[in-house]
Amino acid sequence: MYLFPLALRSLLNRRFSALLTVLAIALSVTLLLGVEKIRNEARASFAGTISGTDLIVGPRTGSVQLLLYSVFRIGNATSNMRWDSYQKIAEHPRVDWAIPISLGDSHRGFKVMGTTDDYFTHFRHGRDRQLLFAEGRAFDDLYDAVIGADIARELGYQLGSELVLAHGTGAVSFVEHADKPFQVSGILAKTGTPVDRTIHISLQGMEALHVDWQQGMPARGAARVDAEQARSLDLTPTTITAMLLGLDSRVATFAVQRDINRFPSEPLMAVLPGVALQELWSLLGVAEQALFIVSVFVVLTGLVGMLTAILASLNERRREMAILRSVGARPRHVFGLLLLEAAGLALAGILLGLGLMYLTVWLAQPVILSRYGLFIPITAPGLWDWSLLGAILLAAIIMGCVPAWRAYRQSLIDGLSIRT
Amino acid sequence: MAEPVIQLEQITFAWPGRATLLDIDSFTLQAGERVFLKGPSGSGKTTLLGLLGGVQLPASGRIRLLGEDLAGMSGSARDRFRADHTGYIFQMFNLLPYLSVVENITLPCHFSSRRQQRASQRHGSVQAAALHLLAHLGLDQPALHKQPVTELSIGQQQRVAAARALIGSPELIIADEPTSALDADTREVFLQLLFSECEALGSSLLFVSHDAALEPLFDRSLSLRELNRAVVNPEVI
Repeated sequence: MYLFPLALRSLLNRRFSALLTVLAIALSVTLLLGVEKIRNEARASFAGTISGTDLIVGPRTGSVQLLLYSVFRIGNATSNMRWDSYQKIAEHPRVDWAIPISLGDSHRGFKVMGTTDDYFTHFRHGRDRQLLFAEGRAFDDLYDAVIGADIARELGYQLGSELVLAHGTGAVSFVEHADKPFQVSGILAKTGTPVDRTIHISLQGMEALHVDWQQGMPARGAARVDAEQARSLDLTPTTITAMLLGLDSRVATFAVQRDINRFPSEPLMAVLPGVALQELWSLLGVAEQALFIVSVFVVLTGLVGMLTAILASLNERRREMAILRSVGARPRHVFGLLLLEAAGLALAGILLGLGLMYLTVWLAQPVILSRYGLFIPITAPGLWDWSLLGAILLAAIIMGCVPAWRAYRQSLIDGLSIRT
Repeated sequence: MAEPVIQLEQITFAWPGRATLLDIDSFTLQAGERVFLKGPSGSGKTTLLGLLGGVQLPASGRIRLLGEDLAGMSGSARDRFRADHTGYIFQMFNLLPYLSVVENITLPCHFSSRRQQRASQRHGSVQAAALHLLAHLGLDQPALHKQPVTELSIGQQQRVAAARALIGSPELIIADEPTSALDADTREVFLQLLFSECEALGSSLLFVSHDAALEPLFDRSLSLRELNRAVVNPEVI
């Protein structure tokens, strides 16, 4: 039919306002798709905070709480688990590897985590990504520390930098372990997980810090043990905060979990990280949904802008409609013309928006990766994206019926008479 | 003898709740006739043209176009009938500014397959038909065809509008004050061209104007004020 080129030519004749309308729709589409992309990647990245770990074990508490302090380093453990429990669980026949985690100290607001070398070999994040050293290596000496990428960047630390840890987890601490400074032996590559904001030291190092402490206070006078003296002491910890477990097979997960939950000598619990992550995400999901709803409304605003532009043009286009009627266009042609116009504007907006979104992702990709450790891949729009775009087009066509109907009525009333 | 192109019998028309605007006892336009209808504003001209276009229906009486009763047709059938059999020329700004000269002329052929067929039968294609009409109307300089229609002079624009009304040789051409924006010389030239093309295509011409000076050029002349028995207060319209 001839209507399509006619609608196109008519739009091109009003190209400035048409362009603005298309741009408004395009920007809103870019926002919606961008938010969708970030939402998906953030969700995937969140779910990838810990992977490859089959169970997280700790003293009995809530599963989200255990996840929060053992993986996200948020909040504090209310109680600890005994070292001999750790040893017993690590010897469970189905356990492949076990990593102890000991928390409680900090350095300028960053959490300090005591662990073993195994942490760097077994811990996985994202899709089975191992921790990589950007510089240096794991602990060699008792007073070695491995720092995350954010700490190195924010505090400007390099290999060999000295750091004094503080007791407790506040940003400002009055009790410092000034007598036993640590040295940076390794800096980890950016992961986009809380690992980036953690200072890792060995369990023995953690123990050495507190070896002379009595009743939560550093010893005084002769009872003090200096850094070199501590080296000769037995630094096996008595308690740890939590442990990560890898099993020889996924199938064993529930059996081992049951064994740990019934652990005879102390009350312990084991949680599946995936399940706990899901539980936590359902709490955070509200913000993510709010973001989605806001961007949907921005798209609606764009479409209402289009509606306004078309409606405003109707009056000055009465002559155009009357001319079309006089050359034989029927009222339904007038209706179709305006509907095509709305659909055309929306389609152009959607395509431009799609292009803008990819351009933005392409430009922002390196920045987002280095800043937030979030890798936003350039992928073809998925089924969900297409259905969103389809819904936008459909909404535009439905809204386009309003001016189309008005023009239809107007052309019935005006007939062939041209009014100026 | 062919059916009369227009046949009005005891037509009345009024908008709902208003006084009668139009009351015509009888009016006939024969095939090939060129009729001058003197219609100053307020004489019911717009209403009459609306009725002839099938945009409105009379309150009573019969309108026959080419022997067919418009009242017996549905709204869309009347629209199609108009597209097939009637060409319109208006006072000014007749053209769609975003189409080229030739596209403006061929516009009716997109809405009427009958006119498309007739145009391409005679000239091979609608484009050829448009160029043929342009040549006959003295607009055969190729440079003109490439110009935006808004840059043509008013006289040229009206000739393009005439070509558009004539393409596909509709039986009836209705011209509503097509010359009022033209100066005296262009007016005569325009009319002569219009007449000769109507004659060549066998179209009848109903020419509505308030300019009595043009009257003698037509076969027949009527005054709408005398034709319309309804007392019309110009302020109402």
